[in-house]
Amino acid sequence: MKIVAAQKILKANDQLAEENRRRFSAAGVFGVNIVGSPGCGKTTLLEALIGRFGDALAPAVIEGDIAGSIDAERIDALGVPVVQINTDGACHLDAQMVNAAAGSLELGQLGLLLIENVGNLVCPAGFDLGEHRRIVLLSVPEGDDKIAKYPAIFRGSHALAITKIDLLPHFDFSVDRVVADMRRLAPAARVFQLSAKTGGGVAEIGDWLQAEAAAR
Amino acid sequence: MHELSIVEALIEQVETEVDRAGARGPVARLKLSIGRLSGVNADAVRFAFQLLAPSTRLAGAALEIDEPKAVCVCAACGARTEIEELVLSCPACQAGKITIDGGREMLLETIDVDEFDR
Repeated sequence: MKIVAAQKILKANDQLAEENRRRFSAAGVFGVNIVGSPGCGKTTLLEALIGRFGDALAPAVIEGDIAGSIDAERIDALGVPVVQINTDGACHLDAQMVNAAAGSLELGQLGLLLIENVGNLVCPAGFDLGEHRRIVLLSVPEGDDKIAKYPAIFRGSHALAITKIDLLPHFDFSVDRVVADMRRLAPAARVFQLSAKTGGGVAEIGDWLQAEAAAR
Repeated sequence: MHELSIVEALIEQVETEVDRAGARGPVARLKLSIGRLSGVNADAVRFAFQLLAPSTRLAGAALEIDEPKAVCVCAACGARTEIEELVLSCPACQAGKITIDGGREMLLETIDVDEFDR
Protein backbone atom coordinates (compact mmCIF):
# COMPACT_ATOMS: atom_id res chain seq x y z
CA MET A 1 0.00 0.00 0.00
CA LYS A 2 1.30 3.47 -0.87
CA ILE A 3 0.30 6.33 1.40
CA VAL A 4 0.70 9.79 -0.08
CA ALA A 5 1.32 11.95 2.95
CA ALA A 6 2.68 15.11 1.28
CA GLN A 7 2.95 16.89 4.61
CA LYS A 8 5.60 18.83 6.42
CA ILE A 9 8.03 16.96 8.61
CA LEU A 10 7.67 18.52 12.06
CA LYS A 11 3.97 19.03 11.32
CA ALA A 12 3.25 18.09 14.94
CA ASN A 13 5.65 20.78 16.20
CA ASP A 14 4.24 23.38 13.81
CA GLN A 15 0.66 22.63 14.88
CA LEU A 16 1.51 22.87 18.55
CA ALA A 17 3.43 26.10 17.89
CA GLU A 18 0.31 27.54 16.23
CA GLU A 19 -1.70 26.52 19.28
CA ASN A 20 0.84 28.21 21.57
CA ARG A 21 0.64 31.38 19.47
CA ARG A 22 -3.17 31.42 19.62
CA ARG A 23 -3.06 30.85 23.36
CA PHE A 24 -0.56 33.68 23.89
CA SER A 25 -2.51 36.04 21.65
CA ALA A 26 -5.80 35.23 23.38
CA ALA A 27 -4.22 36.05 26.75
CA GLY A 28 -2.72 39.30 25.39
CA VAL A 29 0.81 37.98 25.74
CA PHE A 30 3.51 38.83 23.19
CA GLY A 31 5.91 35.92 22.75
CA VAL A 32 9.56 36.45 21.86
CA ASN A 33 12.04 33.69 21.06
CA ILE A 34 15.60 34.74 21.86
CA VAL A 35 18.33 32.78 20.08
CA GLY A 36 22.10 32.99 19.80
CA SER A 37 25.34 31.21 20.68
CA PRO A 38 26.30 30.26 24.24
CA GLY A 39 27.71 33.36 25.89
CA CYS A 40 26.40 35.87 23.36
CA GLY A 41 24.45 37.72 26.07
CA LYS A 42 20.90 36.37 25.94
CA THR A 43 20.34 36.31 29.69
CA THR A 44 22.10 39.65 30.08
CA LEU A 45 19.73 41.17 27.52
CA LEU A 46 16.76 39.76 29.45
CA GLU A 47 18.08 41.26 32.66
CA ALA A 48 18.55 44.64 31.00
CA LEU A 49 15.07 44.59 29.42
CA ILE A 50 13.44 43.57 32.69
CA GLY A 51 15.38 46.22 34.57
CA ARG A 52 14.29 48.96 32.23
CA PHE A 53 10.86 47.85 31.00
CA GLY A 54 9.79 45.42 33.73
CA ASP A 55 6.90 47.57 34.96
CA ALA A 56 5.62 48.54 31.52
CA LEU A 57 5.78 45.13 29.87
CA ALA A 58 4.73 42.70 32.66
CA PRO A 59 7.25 40.11 31.51
CA ALA A 60 7.80 36.47 32.34
CA VAL A 61 10.68 34.31 31.21
CA ILE A 62 11.03 30.73 30.01
CA GLU A 63 14.66 29.65 30.30
CA GLY A 64 15.84 26.86 28.04
CA ASP A 65 19.07 25.16 29.02
CA ILE A 66 20.59 21.75 28.55
CA ALA A 67 21.18 21.49 32.28
CA GLY A 68 21.01 23.52 35.47
CA SER A 69 19.10 26.60 36.56
CA ILE A 70 21.81 29.26 36.67
CA ASP A 71 19.97 31.54 34.23
CA ALA A 72 16.59 31.03 35.88
CA GLU A 73 18.11 32.06 39.22
CA ARG A 74 19.41 35.27 37.64
CA ILE A 75 15.90 36.10 36.40
CA ASP A 76 14.25 35.00 39.64
CA ALA A 77 16.46 37.49 41.50
CA LEU A 78 14.69 40.25 39.55
CA GLY A 79 11.31 39.21 40.89
CA VAL A 80 9.92 38.17 37.51
CA PRO A 81 8.05 34.86 36.98
CA VAL A 82 10.44 32.35 35.44
CA VAL A 83 10.16 28.72 34.36
CA GLN A 84 13.24 26.64 33.72
CA ILE A 85 13.19 24.00 30.98
CA ASN A 86 16.02 21.48 31.02
CA THR A 87 16.26 19.80 27.67
CA ASP A 88 18.40 16.91 28.96
CA GLY A 89 20.87 17.20 26.13
CA ALA A 90 18.55 18.38 23.35
CA CYS A 91 20.12 21.28 21.48
CA HIS A 92 16.96 23.41 21.09
CA LEU A 93 13.55 24.10 22.57
CA ASP A 94 10.45 22.81 20.81
CA ALA A 95 6.78 23.78 20.89
CA GLN A 96 5.90 20.95 23.27
CA MET A 97 8.40 22.11 25.90
CA VAL A 98 7.15 25.70 25.66
CA ASN A 99 3.55 24.52 25.83
CA ALA A 100 4.27 22.65 29.08
CA ALA A 101 6.26 25.53 30.57
CA ALA A 102 3.59 28.11 29.70
CA GLY A 103 1.10 25.97 31.59
CA SER A 104 2.74 26.94 34.86
CA LEU A 105 2.54 30.69 34.16
CA GLU A 106 -0.42 32.99 34.81
CA LEU A 107 -0.64 34.12 31.19
CA GLY A 108 -3.56 36.45 31.88
CA GLN A 109 -1.38 38.61 34.10
CA LEU A 110 1.46 38.90 31.61
CA GLY A 111 2.20 41.20 28.69
CA LEU A 112 5.45 39.75 27.41
CA LEU A 113 6.81 36.22 27.39
CA LEU A 114 10.55 36.08 26.79
CA ILE A 115 11.70 32.61 25.79
CA GLU A 116 15.46 32.13 26.01
CA ASN A 117 16.38 29.27 23.71
CA VAL A 118 19.29 26.89 24.18
CA GLY A 119 22.56 28.58 23.17
CA ASN A 120 23.03 27.38 19.59
CA LEU A 121 23.10 29.05 16.16
CA VAL A 122 21.98 25.95 14.27
CA CYS A 123 19.26 23.77 15.72
CA PRO A 124 16.72 26.30 17.08
CA ALA A 125 16.23 27.58 13.51
CA GLY A 126 13.98 24.66 12.59
CA PHE A 127 11.61 24.79 15.55
CA ASP A 128 8.76 27.26 15.75
CA LEU A 129 7.86 27.69 19.42
CA GLY A 130 4.72 29.74 18.87
CA GLU A 131 6.46 33.06 19.37
CA HIS A 132 5.36 36.29 17.69
CA ARG A 133 8.90 37.55 17.09
CA ARG A 134 12.35 36.02 17.05
CA ILE A 135 15.43 38.00 18.06
CA VAL A 136 18.84 36.64 17.16
CA LEU A 137 21.93 37.84 19.04
CA LEU A 138 25.45 38.02 17.65
CA SER A 139 28.26 39.20 19.92
CA VAL A 140 31.28 41.06 18.58
CA PRO A 141 33.81 38.39 19.75
CA GLU A 142 32.03 35.72 17.68
CA GLY A 143 33.10 37.43 14.48
CA ASP A 144 31.38 39.26 11.63
CA ASP A 145 31.23 36.19 9.37
CA LYS A 146 28.57 34.36 11.36
CA ILE A 147 25.56 35.44 9.31
CA ALA A 148 27.18 34.02 6.19
CA LYS A 149 28.12 30.83 8.04
CA TYR A 150 24.83 30.19 9.87
CA PRO A 151 22.30 31.79 7.54
CA ALA A 152 19.20 29.78 8.49
CA ILE A 153 18.80 31.23 11.98
CA PHE A 154 19.34 34.80 10.81
CA ARG A 155 17.04 34.43 7.83
CA GLY A 156 14.03 33.63 9.98
CA SER A 157 14.61 36.32 12.62
CA HIS A 158 12.75 39.63 12.99
CA ALA A 159 15.56 41.47 14.72
CA LEU A 160 19.31 41.17 15.09
CA ALA A 161 21.01 42.42 18.23
CA ILE A 162 24.77 42.90 17.91
CA THR A 163 25.93 42.57 21.51
CA LYS A 164 29.15 43.52 23.35
CA ILE A 165 29.45 46.42 20.93
CA ASP A 166 31.82 48.12 23.42
CA LEU A 167 34.42 45.50 22.40
CA LEU A 168 34.58 46.78 18.81
CA PRO A 169 37.98 48.48 19.32
CA HIS A 170 39.51 45.11 20.21
CA PHE A 171 38.20 43.02 17.30
CA ASP A 172 38.30 43.15 13.53
CA PHE A 173 34.52 43.16 13.39
CA SER A 174 32.75 45.06 10.65
CA VAL A 175 29.30 46.21 11.72
CA ASP A 176 28.71 47.28 8.11
CA ARG A 177 29.33 43.75 6.87
CA VAL A 178 26.95 42.28 9.46
CA VAL A 179 24.24 44.82 8.65
CA ALA A 180 24.67 44.21 4.90
CA ASP A 181 24.54 40.42 5.31
CA MET A 182 21.41 40.69 7.47
CA ARG A 183 19.73 43.01 4.93
CA ARG A 184 20.22 40.39 2.26
CA LEU A 185 18.82 37.52 4.30
CA ALA A 186 16.09 39.34 6.19
CA PRO A 187 15.42 42.74 4.57
CA ALA A 188 12.67 43.68 7.03
CA ALA A 189 14.63 42.82 10.18
CA ARG A 190 15.67 45.55 12.59
CA VAL A 191 19.30 45.72 13.69
CA PHE A 192 20.25 46.93 17.18
CA GLN A 193 23.67 47.55 18.71
CA LEU A 194 23.85 46.68 22.38
CA SER A 195 26.31 47.04 25.20
CA ALA A 196 25.64 45.60 28.63
CA LYS A 197 28.58 47.66 29.89
CA THR A 198 27.09 51.02 28.94
CA GLY A 199 23.43 50.00 28.66
CA GLY A 200 23.46 51.31 25.09
CA GLY A 201 20.77 50.00 22.77
CA VAL A 202 18.52 48.56 25.48
CA ALA A 203 16.06 51.44 25.21
CA GLU A 204 15.85 51.01 21.43
CA ILE A 205 15.19 47.29 21.49
CA GLY A 206 12.72 47.69 24.35
CA ASP A 207 10.85 50.44 22.46
CA TRP A 208 10.74 48.24 19.39
CA LEU A 209 9.35 45.32 21.39
CA GLN A 210 6.70 47.55 22.94
CA ALA A 211 5.69 48.89 19.55
CA GLU A 212 5.56 45.40 18.01
CA ALA A 213 3.50 44.11 20.92
CA ALA A 214 1.13 47.08 20.74
CA ALA A 215 0.63 46.62 16.99
CA ARG A 216 -0.88 43.19 17.54
CA MET B 1 22.29 17.38 15.96
CA HIS B 2 18.64 18.41 15.73
CA GLU B 3 18.24 15.73 13.04
CA LEU B 4 17.78 13.24 15.88
CA SER B 5 14.69 14.95 17.24
CA ILE B 6 13.44 15.60 13.71
CA VAL B 7 13.66 11.89 12.89
CA GLU B 8 11.99 11.05 16.20
CA ALA B 9 9.08 13.29 15.20
CA LEU B 10 9.12 11.86 11.66
CA ILE B 11 8.78 8.29 12.92
CA GLU B 12 5.79 9.26 15.07
CA GLN B 13 4.28 11.09 12.12
CA VAL B 14 4.69 8.04 9.86
CA GLU B 15 3.15 5.73 12.47
CA THR B 16 0.17 8.07 12.75
CA GLU B 17 -0.32 8.16 8.97
CA VAL B 18 0.01 4.38 8.65
CA ASP B 19 -2.56 3.84 11.41
CA ARG B 20 -4.90 6.36 9.82
CA ALA B 21 -4.66 4.55 6.48
CA GLY B 22 -5.51 1.30 8.26
CA ALA B 23 -2.37 -0.41 6.95
CA ARG B 24 -1.19 -3.36 9.01
CA GLY B 25 2.14 -4.48 7.57
CA PRO B 26 5.60 -3.05 8.25
CA VAL B 27 6.76 0.11 6.51
CA ALA B 28 8.86 -0.82 3.47
CA ARG B 29 9.87 2.57 2.09
CA LEU B 30 9.75 6.25 2.97
CA LYS B 31 10.20 9.12 0.57
CA LEU B 32 11.26 12.49 1.95
CA SER B 33 12.08 15.79 0.38
CA ILE B 34 14.66 17.85 2.28
CA GLY B 35 15.62 21.10 0.59
CA ARG B 36 19.25 22.19 0.51
CA LEU B 37 18.42 25.33 2.48
CA SER B 38 16.23 23.64 5.09
CA GLY B 39 19.06 23.66 7.63
CA VAL B 40 18.70 19.89 7.91
CA ASN B 41 21.44 17.59 6.71
CA ALA B 42 20.16 14.56 4.76
CA ASP B 43 23.11 12.38 5.79
CA ALA B 44 22.48 13.14 9.44
CA VAL B 45 18.81 12.22 8.89
CA ARG B 46 19.88 8.87 7.40
CA PHE B 47 22.18 8.26 10.34
CA ALA B 48 19.50 9.16 12.90
CA PHE B 49 17.01 6.93 11.07
CA GLN B 50 19.39 3.98 11.36
CA LEU B 51 19.61 4.59 15.09
CA LEU B 52 15.92 5.12 15.79
CA ALA B 53 13.97 2.99 13.30
CA PRO B 54 14.90 -0.53 14.49
CA SER B 55 12.65 -0.45 17.57
CA THR B 56 9.62 0.75 15.57
CA ARG B 57 7.40 -0.52 12.79
CA LEU B 58 9.71 1.36 10.41
CA ALA B 59 12.46 -1.18 11.14
CA GLY B 60 14.17 -2.17 7.91
CA ALA B 61 12.38 0.47 5.84
CA ALA B 62 14.29 2.00 2.94
CA LEU B 63 14.78 5.75 3.26
CA GLU B 64 14.78 7.76 0.05
CA ILE B 65 15.63 11.45 0.34
CA ASP B 66 15.23 13.93 -2.47
CA GLU B 67 17.31 17.09 -1.93
CA PRO B 68 15.90 19.86 -4.12
CA LYS B 69 18.12 22.84 -4.84
CA ALA B 70 17.07 26.45 -4.49
CA VAL B 71 17.15 29.16 -7.15
CA CYS B 72 18.81 32.53 -6.68
CA VAL B 73 17.04 35.20 -8.74
CA CYS B 74 19.06 38.36 -9.30
CA ALA B 75 17.26 41.70 -9.64
CA ALA B 76 20.35 43.31 -11.17
CA CYS B 77 21.37 40.93 -13.98
CA GLY B 78 18.29 38.72 -14.13
CA ALA B 79 20.28 35.49 -13.73
CA ARG B 80 18.50 32.49 -12.26
CA THR B 81 21.18 30.32 -10.66
CA GLU B 82 20.60 26.95 -9.02
CA ILE B 83 22.25 26.94 -5.61
CA GLU B 84 23.04 24.17 -3.13
CA GLU B 85 23.72 26.49 -0.24
CA LEU B 86 22.53 29.94 0.76
CA VAL B 87 24.31 32.80 -0.97
CA LEU B 88 24.37 36.47 -0.02
CA SER B 89 25.02 37.77 -3.53
CA CYS B 90 24.27 36.72 -7.11
CA PRO B 91 26.74 33.98 -8.16
CA ALA B 92 26.72 35.44 -11.70
CA CYS B 93 27.28 39.18 -11.10
CA GLN B 94 27.90 39.43 -7.31
CA ALA B 95 25.07 41.96 -6.87
CA GLY B 96 23.33 41.86 -3.52
CA LYS B 97 19.76 42.39 -4.66
CA ILE B 98 18.62 38.79 -4.83
CA THR B 99 15.68 36.65 -3.87
CA ILE B 100 15.96 32.96 -3.08
CA ASP B 101 13.21 30.60 -4.23
CA GLY B 102 12.60 27.16 -2.76
CA GLY B 103 15.02 24.77 -1.14
CA ARG B 104 13.53 25.16 2.33
CA GLU B 105 10.98 22.36 2.16
CA MET B 106 11.08 19.47 4.57
CA LEU B 107 8.38 17.04 3.48
CA LEU B 108 7.20 13.54 4.14
CA GLU B 109 6.12 12.61 0.61
CA THR B 110 5.06 8.96 0.51
CA ILE B 111 5.02 5.86 2.69
CA ASP B 112 5.01 2.34 1.22
CA VAL B 113 3.62 -0.31 3.53
CA ASP B 114 4.02 -4.04 2.87
CA GLU B 115 0.74 -5.96 2.65
CA PHE B 116 2.11 -8.89 4.61
CA ASP B 117 4.69 -9.37 7.30
CA ARG B 118 8.10 -9.70 5.75
